[in-house]
Amino acid sequence: MSSQGVWVRARERLRRFPELLAGCGEQAAAYGKCVAAMTAGHTELKKEACAAEFEALRDCFRLAAKKNLK
Amino acid sequence: LPRPYRLWLHSRPVHPGARSPFDRELKRKQKNWAARQPEPERCEYLREEVGGRIADRVFDITRTFPLALDIGCGRGYIAQHLTKETIEKLFQTDIAENALRNTMETEIPTVSIVADEEFLPFKENTFDLVVSSLSLHWVNDLPRAFSEIHQVLKPDGVFIGAMFGGDTLYELRCSLQLAELEREGGFSPHISPFTAVSDLGHLLRRAGFNTLTVDTDEIQVRYPGMFEVMEDLQGMGESNCSWNRKPMLHRETMLAAAAVYKEMYGNNDGTVPATFQIFYMIGWKFHESQARPDQRGSATVSFGDLAKINPLVSETKK
Repeated sequence: MSSQGVWVRARERLRRFPELLAGCGEQAAAYGKCVAAMTAGHTELKKEACAAEFEALRDCFRLAAKKNLK
Repeated sequence: LPRPYRLWLHSRPVHPGARSPFDRELKRKQKNWAARQPEPERCEYLREEVGGRIADRVFDITRTFPLALDIGCGRGYIAQHLTKETIEKLFQTDIAENALRNTMETEIPTVSIVADEEFLPFKENTFDLVVSSLSLHWVNDLPRAFSEIHQVLKPDGVFIGAMFGGDTLYELRCSLQLAELEREGGFSPHISPFTAVSDLGHLLRRAGFNTLTVDTDEIQVRYPGMFEVMEDLQGMGESNCSWNRKPMLHRETMLAAAAVYKEMYGNNDGTVPATFQIFYMIGWKFHESQARPDQRGSATVSFGDLAKINPLVSETKK
């Protein structure tokens, strides 16, 4: 496996991010709102404070990636 | 576990006292790569815009400059807007030879030289005008770069430059920070703090410049999303080249950051903005002919007389 090949494939996978993310707008918004809410006032944003929302986003993303692979 | 992806991000932490935060050899590679892209014009909109605004400021100084220097010129975004009545001969320098091979058309006779902004290969008192657009922020020793610029200028010569200001890419910085905090429990700086306006004035003065003007402008560009912002930054040759940059950005963190970016900053039409704050600076090299503040105590009118200014003016008219 050539190292160049790895980077080409990595770049291609990266390029698909926007279209995959587009299909998960609801989950992305929910995660974003959760994070934004943590930054208001005196609450500190802790690690995995929005874990549930992120899981939903990640699952949606993975599903979209599988579908897209055909 | 997600596989981390190597990504060059636009970021450059600059700590006070740091000697060489940036890997100049890497910056050269990044700029050469960007210049070699099939359609370099695609990512040049920012440099074009700022280049034009610098050209405006050159025009405002109604002089002909026999010899000028463009530092970190890239493909030459300033010269294309200027005439040979304004600049008779132009030296263009950049660290990326690929950019110089493909410079934009201009009616001004030019000479291209591969040179590092930090080590200008010119004698003292050579140029009537030095310009620099959006390249000094990657210089390791900015005070020294300003000193060199001051040195190569002739007396009564002028330096007109543009640099990125502190608000630049704040949306990207905050989104990455918050995502990294939530996903990884900590964050490393990805976007440089940039030079503050007050520091800029101070640095220019220390380098010997007089009659300083620094003004700020903001350009907001709309993108489909965070990934497109980062892609374009890479295409501009603006990726991170700090020695202590974080080499990997986890795919999950990127996903998280993109979601945060959209939610916190997104426009109603689904696009996201990216802010570029630009500082424009003009500094002069001293010459006897330049206006100087008068000696203390030489005033012939007092501020108290301001109230009487209307009758005073009408009296002198008589």
